[in-house]
Amino acid sequence: MNADSRAVRSSSFSRIVNTAGVYGIALLFLVLGLLLQLTGAIGNFLSVQNMLNIVDAVALVGIVAVGMSFVTYSGHYADMSVPTTMGFTGYICIELLRYGFLPAILGALVVGLLIGLLNGFVIGKFKANPIIWTLAVNYVTLGIIRLVWVNKQIYPDLQGSGQAAVALFDSIYRLRFFHLIGLPLVILIILVVVGQFVLTRTSFGVKLKVTGSALRAAKFSGIDVERVILVSFVLAAFTATIAGLAVTSLSRVGAWYNGAGYDFKAVTAIVIGGMTLAGGRGSILGVLGGSLIIGILNNIMTLVGIGTFSQDMVRGAIFIIVVGINAVSLRSLGRDDA
Amino acid sequence: MRKMEKSRLLAFSDKYRIYLLFVAVFAVMSLFAPRFFALQNMTSILNAIAMNATVAIGFTVVMICGQLDLSIGAVITFAGVLTMGLEPLLGFPGAIAVAIAGGAFVGLLNGLLVAKAKINSFIVTLGTMTILQGSIYQFSGGNSIGITTPQAFAISDFLGVSLIPLVTPRILIAILLVVAVELFLRRSRAGRNFYLVGGNKNTAWFAGINTDRYQIAAFVISGVTAAVGGICSVLVSTAATLKLGENSLMYVISATIIGGTAMSGGKGGVLRSVIAIFTLEMLYTGIILFGLGNEVKIFFAGLILAYVVLYEAYATYKHDKSLGQRPELMKEIKKRRTASGGA
Repeated sequence: MNADSRAVRSSSFSRIVNTAGVYGIALLFLVLGLLLQLTGAIGNFLSVQNMLNIVDAVALVGIVAVGMSFVTYSGHYADMSVPTTMGFTGYICIELLRYGFLPAILGALVVGLLIGLLNGFVIGKFKANPIIWTLAVNYVTLGIIRLVWVNKQIYPDLQGSGQAAVALFDSIYRLRFFHLIGLPLVILIILVVVGQFVLTRTSFGVKLKVTGSALRAAKFSGIDVERVILVSFVLAAFTATIAGLAVTSLSRVGAWYNGAGYDFKAVTAIVIGGMTLAGGRGSILGVLGGSLIIGILNNIMTLVGIGTFSQDMVRGAIFIIVVGINAVSLRSLGRDDA
Repeated sequence: MRKMEKSRLLAFSDKYRIYLLFVAVFAVMSLFAPRFFALQNMTSILNAIAMNATVAIGFTVVMICGQLDLSIGAVITFAGVLTMGLEPLLGFPGAIAVAIAGGAFVGLLNGLLVAKAKINSFIVTLGTMTILQGSIYQFSGGNSIGITTPQAFAISDFLGVSLIPLVTPRILIAILLVVAVELFLRRSRAGRNFYLVGGNKNTAWFAGINTDRYQIAAFVISGVTAAVGGICSVLVSTAATLKLGENSLMYVISATIIGGTAMSGGKGGVLRSVIAIFTLEMLYTGIILFGLGNEVKIFFAGLILAYVVLYEAYATYKHDKSLGQRPELMKEIKKRRTASGGA
């Protein structure tokens, strides 16, 4: 066995350890919650209802994170237009519900994909700064929402002709298979499986990896970099739309703040899941683990009685620490661009 | 010869783009918007931009260094809430000092993480922004903090009174800061070094500049100016709302880029950003004066930011594409070929 193959083996070995490590940390948090319950600090952590709460919260963040991780993997950090994409598609869906359930969902998806196409085109073709551009798109979408619906929230019409459609829409979040597994969770699992497959087993995944690791090299080796980036932003917008529909179904109201905070939660999940912001490293399974950690941590903090806003502080601190460790360890590997 | 003049005119208009834009918007608004060209309206515009103009100073310095500070909005609110929240404990001087120190500390943290830990600046400041937002709510309990003592009103009155027409002490603070930092950046060696670090970090390092120190200094300046902007604003309104810095980020980024500070660093100036903020505010005031609602203003603000980012990206794209090409050489070859073909 020569040095090269040993290096390859050790890297794939360390990757498995890394992914397993994320789930190990998630397990540790579960144990922590259990210990807190045994000491009587928190009430019913290990109850079925609470576990369902965790899973439901994880499902929404996870759906956003899976799509956004394609953007991160392609070396473009994050899609900051997610919050208003979620809000906007919610509005569109509720507005279209009077024409039936399917047109509403399709309409929302079309709008979401258009936002993704716009992001991907401008960032892929003109190399606009991804954070600033998606932030700008976020503000424009917010402006459109404010302009069209004049600062109003809208509710699905429960009495009108589209009653059946509204009931269907309502069940997006509330539908439970075997009274346990919610539809968002099922969607998340499907997305993770498909995402992991696309990332590791398809030519698009390989192209994305090269693009994320070294944009120039990807370009010179004949990869259509612009298209790869376009697709990754479209995927992010697609999952954001799904999450937006689920959130709107949950709250039964179309509001511009429906997706607030999901951008940062998703990025944190991605980073904790071992995907580096420099691009080209990480896995969707890791991101799922990252979402799990965030979900369990939030749940424990809520049960202990830490307020939502202090949770923001904790999340922000964890985010910076994880990114810092990542950057330092990457630098020791000789990659200085994290 | 005429072609030469034309290209020089183009270069001139590109270089002074923001000043021309300023004059144009001013002229159009004065002519068409009702009640725009009035002393009172001008004073209110100046008062409205005092905060963002102050904040833009530090933001521009960070951008000249080739970095971005997304935490300014949160720092503004943070400083405002600290000032008002600590006043009963420390009195105004103490509270203001703590608030400025808080802003400087956030800047220092950002700078250290960017320069020493070498984490990308959007990511770092995104993180500190979230932490700050959490601590703001934690500190204030989710409510705005108002002070209704006679002293607070006296300070508010003092900051708002006109010294000479158009200029209140509040505006004067902003003007003095802008002039000081502009002169520092243009005239002093340390100031020029910020441009060098932003233009090419490696070259700057080889030229013997401590690049890390300049990057950290830029973030500290940004933290301090954002804090000063927030403090002045809450002192005038005698209350710190939690939405104080909400729109500043969008506003200041758009203005800085319109002002001609390059997102890649090494180019730009503080005065240009402030003029751009003035221009934007005139535009928004005009929108309101035309009788359009606040929603239209928000919509336009987003649209302008998107347009500006796109414009800058497109310009860089075109520049990169023409890199290494020499159109004048190609033209000459073509000319000679047709000439020899004709002979």
